[in-house]
Amino acid sequence: MALVGSDVTMVGGLAKVTGAVNYAPDLQFPRMLYAKALRSPYAHAKVLRIDAATAEKLPGVIAVVTRDDLDGLNPYFGPVVDDQPVVATDRVRHVGEVVALVAGESREIAEEAVGLIEVDYEKLPAVFDILEAIKTDAPVLHAQRKETTAGVHREEFNFQVGGNVCSVYHVEDGDVKQGFQEADEIIENTYTLPPVQHGHIEPHAATAYWEPSGKLVLHTATQNPSGVQEQLAQIFKLPENQVRVIVPLVGGGYGGKTHARLEPALALLARKARRPVQWVLTRDEVFLTGRRYGAVVKIKTGFKRDGRILGRQVEAFYEIGAYALNGPVNAKTGCYVSSGPYNIPNRSLTTYSVYTNLPPTGPFRGVGVSHVCWAYESEMDDIARRLNVDPVELRLKHLVRERDIFVTGEELTSVGVTDCLRRTAEAIGWKGKEEQAEPPKKKNLLRGKGLAVAIKSTTTPTTSSASVRLNADGSAVLLTSSVEIGQGLLTSMAQIVGEELGLPFERVTVSSPDTDLTPYDKSTSSSRTTFHMGQAAQQAARDIKNQLFDVAAKKLEARIEDLELRDGTVFVRGVPDKKISIAEIFRTRFGSTVGSMFGGYCFKTTGGLDPKTGKGKAAAFWFFSACGAEVEVDIETGKVRVLKTVAAVDAGHAIHPKQCGLQNEGSLLSGMGSALFEEMVYDNGQPINSNFLEYMLPSMEDHPEEFQSILVEIPHPDGPFGAKGVGEAALPPVAPAIGNAIANALGGVRIRDLPIKPDKLIAALLVEKEKR
Amino acid sequence: MKINISTTLNDQTLEASVYPNQTLLEFLRDDLSLKGSVEGCGVGVCGSCTVLVDGRPVSSCLMLASDAAGKRITTIEGLARNGDLDPVQEAFLKHQAFQCGYCTPGMIMAVKGLLLNNPHPTETQARDYLSGNLCRCGTYVEVLAAVKELAGR
Repeated sequence: MALVGSDVTMVGGLAKVTGAVNYAPDLQFPRMLYAKALRSPYAHAKVLRIDAATAEKLPGVIAVVTRDDLDGLNPYFGPVVDDQPVVATDRVRHVGEVVALVAGESREIAEEAVGLIEVDYEKLPAVFDILEAIKTDAPVLHAQRKETTAGVHREEFNFQVGGNVCSVYHVEDGDVKQGFQEADEIIENTYTLPPVQHGHIEPHAATAYWEPSGKLVLHTATQNPSGVQEQLAQIFKLPENQVRVIVPLVGGGYGGKTHARLEPALALLARKARRPVQWVLTRDEVFLTGRRYGAVVKIKTGFKRDGRILGRQVEAFYEIGAYALNGPVNAKTGCYVSSGPYNIPNRSLTTYSVYTNLPPTGPFRGVGVSHVCWAYESEMDDIARRLNVDPVELRLKHLVRERDIFVTGEELTSVGVTDCLRRTAEAIGWKGKEEQAEPPKKKNLLRGKGLAVAIKSTTTPTTSSASVRLNADGSAVLLTSSVEIGQGLLTSMAQIVGEELGLPFERVTVSSPDTDLTPYDKSTSSSRTTFHMGQAAQQAARDIKNQLFDVAAKKLEARIEDLELRDGTVFVRGVPDKKISIAEIFRTRFGSTVGSMFGGYCFKTTGGLDPKTGKGKAAAFWFFSACGAEVEVDIETGKVRVLKTVAAVDAGHAIHPKQCGLQNEGSLLSGMGSALFEEMVYDNGQPINSNFLEYMLPSMEDHPEEFQSILVEIPHPDGPFGAKGVGEAALPPVAPAIGNAIANALGGVRIRDLPIKPDKLIAALLVEKEKR
Repeated sequence: MKINISTTLNDQTLEASVYPNQTLLEFLRDDLSLKGSVEGCGVGVCGSCTVLVDGRPVSSCLMLASDAAGKRITTIEGLARNGDLDPVQEAFLKHQAFQCGYCTPGMIMAVKGLLLNNPHPTETQARDYLSGNLCRCGTYVEVLAAVKELAGR
């Protein structure tokens, strides 16, 4: 395999370094207008009156849309629950909810018009705290919410009706009560994580227009063209072929662009304006549009003095904001991995997705898993400390291995977690039990090392389709709706197709999504592209190869099994002069050396869980990862410096090792930010740090002095060339690895509420001092 | 009321009329269709809109277009000459110092500014200088490797 597994030059690099890429905010269309939103100032209110008459009369304003423009449409949408209005209807449920959208000849005119729209609200009681929101007397956000039109989802996620709990997921093994009874010791703690930003530097951006025939065209920065197409078709009651979604290169997503956000209201506006309209969010609007869920995770573990863990109970509450989006998916995905990649005989795992009057959430790199991993991996170190054993040894004793049965009842395949942990420990210079030693006295700068591991599923079952077109000159194009968001699929998919067709890398190109041309793909999320689209692409290429071999076998009078395809020519193995070029095959088949040959494949994974029991098959493949960190804590100031980090993932088989390493680096950086300083802060539902001045992303100065990426490769039988996804795997263990390193530096002082900011550390150290 | 300015943009003299409240970034993107400089934060923190003004990196989202009068502005579009990439661009390609690429033009302009002002920066100096250019994909290691190679020349 020459192409697969090699670090070929990344496709599109020249355009990126010369500023020639046209991202969604860069697009321009003739007679294009600019959109600007009027947003709710209240976290929860009835909308009594909207009057846009004055705004509509402002010169340069072409259209304003409000709830009055929803007649005849399906006005509510969402990936699993139809609870988001295209624009606010009777109520607003979070600060920043779109109440009206204006199209103007310039951004300034649109903005001025927004200020002229009159709205009367009647404020309603609101709830922001997750544990308050689940109380029976809390204000209810969706009392009359209509069940989703997608009935299958209701069954899949255990939706609740009546209160603010949107969905509940539960799975268990053994008898956790008995496990606790037989335990020598039990520890029980609560961990919390605040909402954080995806931090894609490119804001949400889209342009919409309607063709005279009534066909909607959208150019949008989305990770999910097929999903956006489906949602818009449903809202506007159109067949899917009347909604065309085109996706340029996307300037970062990390989950934040997985679902329809701007597109529904923008399409409505463009329909009324009868001209192309572009909507690019400002940074503070991005903060009002998507984020990672906050969470409260309660975890209880019972263990024997000999180090055996007998029982674990987890209850995790995910705060999903005002609309469901994929909150129920998140709760499900977090549930079955909430006791970690461990064999524990007795466990009871329950997760909740809970509405609050905070701005909406959405999938975020490491969906649902980072929350529970923060809890279970901190707890593993606390148990090791209590038992006075090496935390690595404690983990190794319990880690799942090849063919083990997981809590969902399924057999695990391609399980690289032990290798991830061992190699990470070695790379960070782990010395064993002594890493937990008491810190030296009279020193202000204390160092510690920490480790953590994680397991995550990929969303299952799902479908990815691909089509390959072979030209007579032996060049090929892969048509795919997977989105290039920086992960490098334009490169890795060309490697896969090139490998299968025996074509040089330069002879294969990969399309960008255009739903008029490119076939269905579930979405570019859940780190699923390499595995799913990779498989579809390889099989589509194989379809073409079979067609070539059919012709070649007849022409060369050879058996198909004896043929091989390389350098644009079919050879008979062992007979060097028996060969036929692709052009000759075209001539034989079509009577001409022009034309196209098509190959196609629809790859569907099987599985799914019984929502009543949580048992079945959760994942077409499992991610495994480990993180190691070394930190220096200044106990005078509480400042933490990350000196060294190691990120290890099980890549199955790395198609492009360099790109896999870059995914690890990105996961590490994002995880480090949320471990140490990233936190969205609200005052009564009003975001108060919604810009990059007050909400800091890790910069080059925060980046650890040393960073090492490790790729463990345990081939997966269903992956293309054995490959698995790697995009998110390395993120969940970052925060607990850093938390464990800090605890080890401080003789066991543990912060359980992210982010670990200096004030929390100083306060914890003071409490510890008083205890001693 | 527009203001007439004369400036040098990517080595070409340019006479233009700009609004008094128009930022340099808006002027470049809206009036000149130079889309390589992009807006990430709008408050001069993320560095995605970095251009060189008289050889120094500036957040073009914070500079008024009218202040470009009499100055020499270089954008990402002006870095390659006669089709030949700038050594900074070459080094970014070689070290694959980008993923989604959205922050890349700003990052390249900042590196260019760093090297113009300090041709042989240490890693610490580079980290300090470039801390105003945010990359969420995670390519800091590769950018630093590119800078290290350029600094060693």
